[in-house]
Amino acid sequence: MAVDDLVKENLEREVGVEYVENLGLVSATLTKRYAAAVGETNPLYRDAEYARARGYADVVAPPNFVPGVIFWTEGAPYDQLREDGTEADTHLPGVPAKGVRVMGGGEEMHFVKPVVAGTVITRRTVLLDVTARETSQGPMLVARYADRYTDQAGDELLSSVRTVLLR
Amino acid sequence: MSQPEDVMTTPTTPLSTGTVLAPTSNETSVIQIFRYSAATWNTHRIHYDKDYAIKEGYPNVLVQSHLHGAFLAKYCTDLVGADGTLVDLSLRVRKFAVAGETLIVQGTVSAVREGDEARARVDLDLSETRASDGEVCVTGTATIDVPLSWVTLDASA
Repeated sequence: MAVDDLVKENLEREVGVEYVENLGLVSATLTKRYAAAVGETNPLYRDAEYARARGYADVVAPPNFVPGVIFWTEGAPYDQLREDGTEADTHLPGVPAKGVRVMGGGEEMHFVKPVVAGTVITRRTVLLDVTARETSQGPMLVARYADRYTDQAGDELLSSVRTVLLR
Repeated sequence: MSQPEDVMTTPTTPLSTGTVLAPTSNETSVIQIFRYSAATWNTHRIHYDKDYAIKEGYPNVLVQSHLHGAFLAKYCTDLVGADGTLVDLSLRVRKFAVAGETLIVQGTVSAVREGDEARARVDLDLSETRASDGEVCVTGTATIDVPLSWVTLDASA
């Protein structure tokens, strides 16, 4: 199967609903691993001494680390994963676990405040809209989500609008 | 540990609209894509299971859309170094890239305007191209905040 009217209707019911999630602590190990995976050499991301000398409490996360993390939870049991290995996403209700491909299509990010290791992050997510398109590979749904991330003081860290493609 | 050097120093020529910036090269690999998936808890099989990726119509495991974004972000933050910040970054994935591809990121200055207190805002058009066949995988835009001394402002700014 592919995406159909039912999947679209299920998603459209979520338009405008805000989900607030405590994503937890951004640890130094997590951000340093991310920097290493990207191939970053910037000492701001990898060397706490350097970061402290520049006025930060600890290493700073590369800008798109926070939106780049797909899941902040410990992970679902294996029998609850989709065929493609991904977890059932609370932001994708009513999307079948088999037959629908979910891919990232792009993102617009606005960076307000550096994310320093030790930050506890809250995310507010709203589904903005769902659009149906016909492509050479069949029908596709384009869902746009707005995410806003704040720290434990309530200060905004960054915001983004991400595009998710469903086939 | 020795004191690390700052990543970037003041550009030798001012940034002005139309300035074509030096490209950077990103060599991707299966190991990098796996580590990026691990670091971001991305369990999608298309990034680590080659047989699955082939079943989906790709020649190898795919570079994550956020890793494309990371290459663009790195390009911008390396450009501004310790004296600047990345303010905005937008990207759109247009073609897939797979493990083993070399991805070339390049930027062009599209606008320069005055910012706050001796700062400037510089808009960039960005592209990420597959070195193997010249296909543009990602297009994007960015805004960076840099010292005013780094730029030549647009005439209308």
